[in-house]
Amino acid sequence: MFGSHKVKIEGELLERAEKCAEAAGYSSVDEFVTHMLEKETKKILGDPGETVSPEVVKKRLQGLGYIE
Amino acid sequence: MKNTAVWIAIMLLLCGACGLLLSCERARGDWRGDHKLIILGVDGMDPQLLTRFVQEGKMPNFAKLMQEGSFRPLTTSIPPQSPVAWSNMMTGMNAGGHGLFDFIHRDPKTLELYFSASRVQPPKHSIPLGGWVIPLGSGTAEQLRQGKPFWQFLDDHHIPNVVFRIPSNFPPAPAKGLTLSGMGTPDLRGTYGTFTFYTDDPTAVPGAVEGGQIVPVQVENSQVKAKLIGPDNSFRKGAPAAQEPFTVSVDPVESVAKIAFQDQEFVLKEGEWSGWMPIEFQLIPFFGNVKGICRFYLKQAHPRFQLYVSPINIDPASPALPISTPSSYSKELSEEIGEFYTQGISEDTKALSAGVFDDKEFLEQSHTVLAEHRAVFDKEFPKFHKGAFFFYFSSLDLNSHMMWRLMDPKHPEYDATLAAQYGSAIEEFYQQIDQVLGEILPKVDDRTTLLVLSDHGFAPYNRSFNLNTWLLNNGYIVRKEGAVSDESQPMADVDWSRTKAYGIGLNGLYLNLRGREREGIVNPGAEENALLQELKQKLLAVRDPENNQPVITRMDLASEVYQGPYSRSGPDILVGYNRGYRAGWKTILGDFPPDVLENNTNPWSGDHCMDYTLVPGVLLSNRKIQAQAPALTDIAPTILAEFGIQKPDNMIGHSVFEAGGLSWQKGRY
Repeated sequence: MFGSHKVKIEGELLERAEKCAEAAGYSSVDEFVTHMLEKETKKILGDPGETVSPEVVKKRLQGLGYIE
Repeated sequence: MKNTAVWIAIMLLLCGACGLLLSCERARGDWRGDHKLIILGVDGMDPQLLTRFVQEGKMPNFAKLMQEGSFRPLTTSIPPQSPVAWSNMMTGMNAGGHGLFDFIHRDPKTLELYFSASRVQPPKHSIPLGGWVIPLGSGTAEQLRQGKPFWQFLDDHHIPNVVFRIPSNFPPAPAKGLTLSGMGTPDLRGTYGTFTFYTDDPTAVPGAVEGGQIVPVQVENSQVKAKLIGPDNSFRKGAPAAQEPFTVSVDPVESVAKIAFQDQEFVLKEGEWSGWMPIEFQLIPFFGNVKGICRFYLKQAHPRFQLYVSPINIDPASPALPISTPSSYSKELSEEIGEFYTQGISEDTKALSAGVFDDKEFLEQSHTVLAEHRAVFDKEFPKFHKGAFFFYFSSLDLNSHMMWRLMDPKHPEYDATLAAQYGSAIEEFYQQIDQVLGEILPKVDDRTTLLVLSDHGFAPYNRSFNLNTWLLNNGYIVRKEGAVSDESQPMADVDWSRTKAYGIGLNGLYLNLRGREREGIVNPGAEENALLQELKQKLLAVRDPENNQPVITRMDLASEVYQGPYSRSGPDILVGYNRGYRAGWKTILGDFPPDVLENNTNPWSGDHCMDYTLVPGVLLSNRKIQAQAPALTDIAPTILAEFGIQKPDNMIGHSVFEAGGLSWQKGRY
């Protein structure tokens, strides 16, 4: 159920994806497509799996000055 | 042999010619006009303070501009926070259009908090290999501001432009001209500034402090051995921070010390700063290195060892993340003027708040930051001949935040002795900005439009209002049974099945809305609207028992003040605090301090995150400003109009040089 799955991408779109992957510095078109899907699904579903601890977030933000 | 030499010479000449052509093209484009627009962006310049200093004869160049041109208060953004305000300025839209509502945003599904303007993410995929984790691909820096900034419109019309350090532009948006990112640019550790303080003082509490880290060390045989702390090493399992060892040899008699790391050695006297020192953190042997720069300050050699190391900044000569357009520009600049602060908020306010700096040390560091900014200005402004030139200064904002308490005898942290020494610090920074204007004015001719503007003004910050504590006390937030406050896990103990509203950020009040929040319980529509009205009325009625003053003077509903695709993505109500008040330090990230109201005892004593009508910015021009009540959202349309470019429909402002009626007012904030 959670294994990899092949997705068919038509020629012109694949070509565009390859160009984007190269321009953006991805190591392969697979990596680019996976990243795009991760980004878009996160927009729709949120990403409860990827959590940063509040302590880390706080540490990052404190340098802004507005937070103790 | 001779032929080879001739060919090499020809090739070099051709390369040089191509380079020259390219550099001319970059500066010139296809534009044939000769109009010049100069925009001086001064974060936090306050109209009342400016007027006072001008009247006292301390700012002759601003006086001249006011006399010969025009001066208006500039309506700021809702809320009046720099990332929001500068985004209003650069896009001509309000938060509903550009999507920045606060310094701090939350993901409604996870309630994870993040800096609103940008996000740095590590690579998504990796291969574990022994103790190492080899990432596939590189990490990314993502700009979260939406909307097209004015310089991209200028680019579309081939109008040359340069934009220096404008906030909310990290990583820099694609641009044909020179840009350098400003507020929002992280340090090498991915934070917005983390200093390190090494000391053998046994009373110092080791570990993390706000915006910094205290590292205990021992002086043994007049030597200190410690480690500089770099970015998290995502190549290693658990991503521990990369570290580089350094040694300090403390002179047993004199107050001097020699610092050595990698292949560098230098001597500092007590009270002396080093210049920028390059440092390289090795992430993976022979392959993955990352370069940064830092400054050292020997606060004390004896009797206690005290050494401050600045946040490790991204090295402009070899940036680990993009900070300029073209990407090579930061290197060119560092070759011309030397290394410089690249982190967005360079003034180390946290070192002063943590007591690592005293006022004198903070001001010294702040003056260095301003001197660096002026060095960039002095290098770049003389090169400007046509098109648009924008330059940003941060000094008035950060120094008004920190030094207000010594200018205002009514502030709870006012200290007459310190005020005698440093009470004029803010005024001195204003005077330096006046000097910058003095460099600009001689270049303003009849083909030039000059705009001097700030994003907001300033006010004292005397008392904190803990919004989440108020919501808790009034039954809008319910905590789980037996919950104990834990600062490191704010909101973790909230019972969302019984919570109706919560506060995040400096001015944001959110409903726990069904369908939007993961465990939302407030039904959209009638129930939502009734709750908004109820909260609005109750919060506007809150009075400070110390003086019977209203704590909150405005409550703006997002649905009434924002337009655009992101209108409903941010807070439901924007809380506008009265002059003297601000959201408490701990409520911002969702914590519940015991008291609803408390004195602000932090050196951070001035602020602007309040009722937007109380902290307008300034707008000055050499031309007559026709708009009676100009707003930040008018600036991008003004810039476009200066070059005859039609503003797009989603820009809600108008050129300030056109007369406008009250119909302009709605939704411009």
